[in-house]
Amino acid sequence: MRRSDLGEFEEIVLLTVAVLNPAAYSVMIAEELEQQTGKTVTTGAVHSALQRLEKKGFLTSEMGEATAARGGRRKRLFTVTVAGSKILHEVKAVRDNLWSRVTPQGMPQINIS
Amino acid sequence: MRPVDQRPSYTPPQWVDRLISRFCASHLQEEILGDLYERYQLSIARLGESKAKRRYWREALAYMRPSFFKKTTQNTTPHPITMVRHYFLTAFRNTVRNKAFSIINVLGLALGMTCFLLIFLWVADEKVVDNFHKNNERLYTLYHTTESNGNVFGGYDIPNWYGNRNGQDEPVLADELKVNFPEVLYATNYATSYDLPWGYPCTFQYGDIKHKIKGSTAGEDFFKMFSYELVAGKAASALDEINTVAISEKMARMFFDSPEEALGKVLRYENFRDFVVRAVFKDTDQQSSLQFDYLISWKNTVKGEILRSDNKFPTYIQLKENTDPAAFAEKLRDFQNQRSDYPENYQVDLGIQPFGDRYLSSNFVNGAPAEGRKEYVNIFSGVAIFILIIACVNFMNLATAKSLKRAREVGVRKVIGSSRGYLIGQFLGESLLLSFIALICALVLVSLLLPFFNDFSGKQMALPLEKSNYWLFLIGLTVAAGLASGSYPALFLSSLRPVRVLKGLTRFSKSALWFRKGLAVFQFSLSILLLIGTLVVSRQTDFVQNKHLGYDKENIIYLRIEGDLNRKYAVLKERLLTLPGISMVDRSSEAPHNMGFEMSSPFTWEGQQEGQAVSFKPTSVGFDFVDMMGLEVVEGRSFSKDFATDTSAFMVNETALTQMGMENPLGKRISAWRKQGHIIGILKDYHISSLHEKIKPLIVDVKENLNFGIIMVKTPPGQTQEALKSLELANAEVNPNYPLAYQFLDLEYAKMYESEAIISKLSNVFAVLAILISCLGLLGLAMFSAEQRTREIGIRKVLGASVNSIVTMFSKEFVQLVLVSFIIAAPIAWYLMNNWLQGFAYSVPLAWWIFALTGASALLIALLTVSFQTMRAALRNPVKSLRAE
Repeated sequence: MRRSDLGEFEEIVLLTVAVLNPAAYSVMIAEELEQQTGKTVTTGAVHSALQRLEKKGFLTSEMGEATAARGGRRKRLFTVTVAGSKILHEVKAVRDNLWSRVTPQGMPQINIS
Repeated sequence: MRPVDQRPSYTPPQWVDRLISRFCASHLQEEILGDLYERYQLSIARLGESKAKRRYWREALAYMRPSFFKKTTQNTTPHPITMVRHYFLTAFRNTVRNKAFSIINVLGLALGMTCFLLIFLWVADEKVVDNFHKNNERLYTLYHTTESNGNVFGGYDIPNWYGNRNGQDEPVLADELKVNFPEVLYATNYATSYDLPWGYPCTFQYGDIKHKIKGSTAGEDFFKMFSYELVAGKAASALDEINTVAISEKMARMFFDSPEEALGKVLRYENFRDFVVRAVFKDTDQQSSLQFDYLISWKNTVKGEILRSDNKFPTYIQLKENTDPAAFAEKLRDFQNQRSDYPENYQVDLGIQPFGDRYLSSNFVNGAPAEGRKEYVNIFSGVAIFILIIACVNFMNLATAKSLKRAREVGVRKVIGSSRGYLIGQFLGESLLLSFIALICALVLVSLLLPFFNDFSGKQMALPLEKSNYWLFLIGLTVAAGLASGSYPALFLSSLRPVRVLKGLTRFSKSALWFRKGLAVFQFSLSILLLIGTLVVSRQTDFVQNKHLGYDKENIIYLRIEGDLNRKYAVLKERLLTLPGISMVDRSSEAPHNMGFEMSSPFTWEGQQEGQAVSFKPTSVGFDFVDMMGLEVVEGRSFSKDFATDTSAFMVNETALTQMGMENPLGKRISAWRKQGHIIGILKDYHISSLHEKIKPLIVDVKENLNFGIIMVKTPPGQTQEALKSLELANAEVNPNYPLAYQFLDLEYAKMYESEAIISKLSNVFAVLAILISCLGLLGLAMFSAEQRTREIGIRKVLGASVNSIVTMFSKEFVQLVLVSFIIAAPIAWYLMNNWLQGFAYSVPLAWWIFALTGASALLIALLTVSFQTMRAALRNPVKSLRAE
């Protein structure tokens, strides 16, 4: 099922949910991603990714309580499901495996500051 | 995490929120708005307010993606197309199921639409007259407002603008305007008449071909201003020299093979002038109120080559672009004030009226053009709308009446989960379907009826089906009719409560009942109004046509004095009297049924008070005039050849006598122009002009040597053919250069009331249609009522009610409706018709029996309509009707 594959943005959002647990909701995720990547990330994009992830069964959600910071509105808090955890691990395994096989001649050397 | 909760909170731009709540799915809105809000607070702290606002925008736009949008499919609402199809499917089923009702509905609406379309074709045709010119917006006609001794009157024929006075050329108004006003681009005169009696055809000759043709004189700007299309020749040079004439295509073909061939040819005019054809124009059609087959250069009138009756002639101008007409009119008034050399107590003002308005508003009220045909256009527009409303009301009424039957359907639909909007859609769908069917019927009817309609309205109209605008109009009309007629049932039925309906508890509320009755009353009031109007109009038209005018208008043929007819009048008269079919011959300076000439200054009489003036209609006749016309002499005697002095004798009518304030008039001195004489007889008042006007003072003398006027011939009844042959013969002998042209007095008289005659015919037709449509409505109501009360009637009959009593009970209901309608309609009709009759100086009285007759016939028609239904209901076997349950 191609639909259950994980896109790159979805993967990073899913991972962030895991990082921010138990306070993972769209605004915090977006803020976190902005800090991490240095690019503007809209909550809309995050929210949309979260919806897709939930549909694919990688996330579950429940409504939190209302806060003044949200103008008295409730937020939707996300947690990673078993399936989510599994796919994150699979993806990581694939990447680690690939990284481990990259030889120094495999790609140009760069300095990461 | 920073403790955001302690921060002061900022309110983000409100309308972004509105955007979100408009477009985003409702179950996501709380999260979305919350996210946006929180993010906004954070970014204000980090970026400051203005950047935060921009950021907010971006954030909000990020939600404009399909995954957040409201989804129409996620509710229970079906896809719109499926729904519309379903609307029409159920509509169709319902239509077929209730055949009788549907036919009544469609027929009523179709008839209503037919009326509406026909009337609006007529109205559109009236409105287009004179508005087809390219420069229409800048074309104006001048008029004068004259105040003389406290009397204000106006007209298009502006007095005292000389072309040629005392042998000297003077500029006419048109020329002077062009010199004095930079705003005036073009100006032209236009005079249909240069000679009394007015508006006669003139003789043109080319080689041996002779024809009598009607036309006019016009200035050289004429073809530059007006969009009369030229087939040959150029507009600029069409009338620029004194010996030029422009002729119509029709006229060109009378003399030449083709229009091109006509150019440069010389036509002989009235056997005394030659004109070169400079241009050939397309025949004037009905969109033009100016009708002419030739135009002679205006210069002929200025130089006195062609005589004209007086110095009044219509003047048309074209203003330059970007001229403010109001400012120009103001300047014109000042100009006129400087120029005037009028006597005291006499004030003439000039005004302008858009040329295109002239046709519809040409009656002068207080010296300015105000009313005219526009009134009839408005009246008929009103009638058209009324009839359409009546037809819509039918539909509404029947649909409401039927609604009890359909209440159960509504209940079931609601229980299954239909929303109110959906039900409204369904009912409107039904009415739209019916009104579209009605439109198709109406279009078929209109195209069938149009030839007849054209015939008696004297027009050449066609359905403009090739114009997309007209289709838009038709569709708009249909949708409007559909919505109007479907609205009440839709709103009423969709508001029913399913629980009550399904339990069978619905009854019509009092208000719904009243509503239905109110509609029927409204409908019938309008019909009665139209009926009364029709009766009055046709009675007045009859009255006008058949009123005894004080003279005999039958069996009189007249021809214009032209060529040698005046010089050889005695010969002609003698010759004619020897020929068959002619019993009398005489002459008059004007056609006696419609005398236009009116003056006061040349008349003085014995015993005239200082400053007293009477406006007379003067006419000069032959010795046998009084006898031939069958005029009654109330005092004294009529002209006779036995008295040598009678060539300087006068007769006046009774009105003249009263206005002059003369007693014992016989033998009193009276003078007209330079002619002095005595009054020898008093004529009983007879109608010398249209019945719209009061009889004016009349002064008659004998002159058998005038070179204008008409020769009148009296024929014995039934010998018209012989008379015409004799006239032809005598004319050929005496006046060979002029073909014979003759008119019948009674036909010319009838022509004066053409518009009344058309109105009468039109209103006859439309009143009948209105009644018919209303009756259809009544029939529907009766059918419904009979159906509803089947059981009640059954029980009544079982308990011993007679057929008679049941029919009476039924009819009473409808009789009441008609009576109430009559009570409402009668006073309104009285007021309106009284107003209309005021426009005639002589009119029929508004008799009570007109109202009584209308009321009685409305009642009778209504009873006849419902009788079949009531009889059927009353005769039905109660066993059958009661067993049904």
